[in-house]
Amino acid sequence: MSILEVANASFNYERHSEKIFEDINFTVGKGEIFCLLGPNGCGKSTLLDSILGINHLNEGGIRIMGKDTRTLKAGQIARYIAYVPQSHERTFPYRVIDIVKMGRAVYTGRFSSPSAEDKEIAKEALDLVGLRHLRHRPYTQLSGGEGQLVMIARALAQKTPVIVMDEPTAHLDFKHEMVVMETIVRLVKTANLTVVMATHFPNHTFYLENNGIKTTVALMYKKHFLEVGSPTQVLNEHNMRTLYNVNTKLMTCPLDISTELKQLVPVSTLNGLNEEERNADV
Amino acid sequence: MRKRIIYILLIIAPLLCVFATLFVGRYPLSLPLVIKTLWSQIALVNYNIPDMYQTLVWDIRMPRAILGAMVGGCLAVSGAAFQGLFRNPLVSSGILGVSSGAGFGAALAIILFQGNTSAVYIFAFVFALLAVLLSYLIGRVYNTTPTITLVLGGVVVSSIFSALISFAKYVADPYQQLPTIVFWLMGSLATARYHDILVAGIPMGIGVAGLIAIRWRINVLSMGDREAHSLGINLAVDKGIVIICASLATAGAVCVSGIIGWVGLVIPHICRMIVGNDNRVLIPASLSVGACFLVLVDNVGRIITGSEMPLGILTALIGGPFFVWLLKKTKGGGW
Repeated sequence: MSILEVANASFNYERHSEKIFEDINFTVGKGEIFCLLGPNGCGKSTLLDSILGINHLNEGGIRIMGKDTRTLKAGQIARYIAYVPQSHERTFPYRVIDIVKMGRAVYTGRFSSPSAEDKEIAKEALDLVGLRHLRHRPYTQLSGGEGQLVMIARALAQKTPVIVMDEPTAHLDFKHEMVVMETIVRLVKTANLTVVMATHFPNHTFYLENNGIKTTVALMYKKHFLEVGSPTQVLNEHNMRTLYNVNTKLMTCPLDISTELKQLVPVSTLNGLNEEERNADV
Repeated sequence: MRKRIIYILLIIAPLLCVFATLFVGRYPLSLPLVIKTLWSQIALVNYNIPDMYQTLVWDIRMPRAILGAMVGGCLAVSGAAFQGLFRNPLVSSGILGVSSGAGFGAALAIILFQGNTSAVYIFAFVFALLAVLLSYLIGRVYNTTPTITLVLGGVVVSSIFSALISFAKYVADPYQQLPTIVFWLMGSLATARYHDILVAGIPMGIGVAGLIAIRWRINVLSMGDREAHSLGINLAVDKGIVIICASLATAGAVCVSGIIGWVGLVIPHICRMIVGNDNRVLIPASLSVGACFLVLVDNVGRIITGSEMPLGILTALIGGPFFVWLLKKTKGGGW
């Protein structure tokens, strides 16, 4: 059963201006991960914004659990989809628990505050990402990786079937990149969540696939989907060259008896720059 | 438990400050005398208190202290709300042009109506709200109100009204009107009467009540537009409520007191150091600390000089060192 369904979606910011993306079609089922892969500026984040209801499509439609998002208000969409931002600008030193409690905003009246029950839900969400012990710390003092886990906890506190993540491992160190990926895998498996995420790391999709999660990758290229399929199907040397203008080698080695570890290793860029950057230089 | 103690302190402190005001000034009064004077009016008992004391306590010091508490509280609470809304700790209650708008309105009334008090209040209030409305309309490019264009709108409107204030000063009669304008712009509570408190109290009361009611939402709004939207917030409505309430409170305060700087910027920060950044506590704390601060500063002003020292000068002179001391003491409180 599909949870999220995007059909013939196209979007441009102003009338008659250039399309940011067009003819986008995909569906995501329960407990699945859908990964958007593509160079900077290909429209990944704009597509995610459309799913979140921040942008409104010019053509086509998005259905979340059968409901057309155009007919839903922010307060209704937020009951289906939670959001983990790419980089969160931390302005005020709120305590970690207070940040996570904000995930309960959609269930809290305009003129009231989260209840004791909401606080428990927030604590449980922090348990799920393993940060309960930090709950009284100002979140401005956390590391980048911990901060990202707090954002994930906030999304979990929102209790939605779908979580949209925009490059959840951007700017993280070697270990925390792994911690965040492991957390995503654990949440999808245990809570049967559906995740839609934009990423710059093709190998992360292999990682998800290796962990037994149904993973679909969409290669986004020049406003369209170049190819959609499982990581094994679509991540190959040819597509990497088209998408990024990068020569890669697909390496495999046995991880244990049953699974094989796949990795795309970049070797060199094609002509130094890709086509768009060459055009920009002229 | 600790929370309850803090809330009780926040309620009692401004009342104590107002009470303390009744004793100090050019004619210091003793405790029994003040209490007798108060009681004689409340219980309508005749203690043969001279009329002068009655007037001093009931008609001069009391309204002034109450108005000071209201103005200080309003400025601080709107400053805290705007800082959260605009995700910017350097924002104050005047960010959307309220103060400059009010200043121009007052200057205009001083010139047109020879300083008729009611006219000054009304003009200051109307122009304060007009300035906010203009800032908001400028901020509404693309039919939405991104934070940065709102702030820019406020900056533009403020500078336009500042220019208009200068123009008003330029054309004003230099012996009668100009000093009045200048003193008004420096802020004062000297003209406070019960009537002013009642009238200006309406917008102040509505604004403060609204901000207290919506205070937790300000936390969510301070996450930024994208995140607040995805957390399920109706941005237009919630931002609108915060802007309207904070503007009503500030405009109500400024129109009776003139421009009092510093309170709307720094009192919220003092409170952030003491109670933290959660607006559920920060908003009530700012209201209370702002009220205490302005009443105390006004008292200092009345004690140290025989004549009226403008409030705007003292708030910064007294508040500045206090802020630095607190910064050292709390090590910035998480900043």
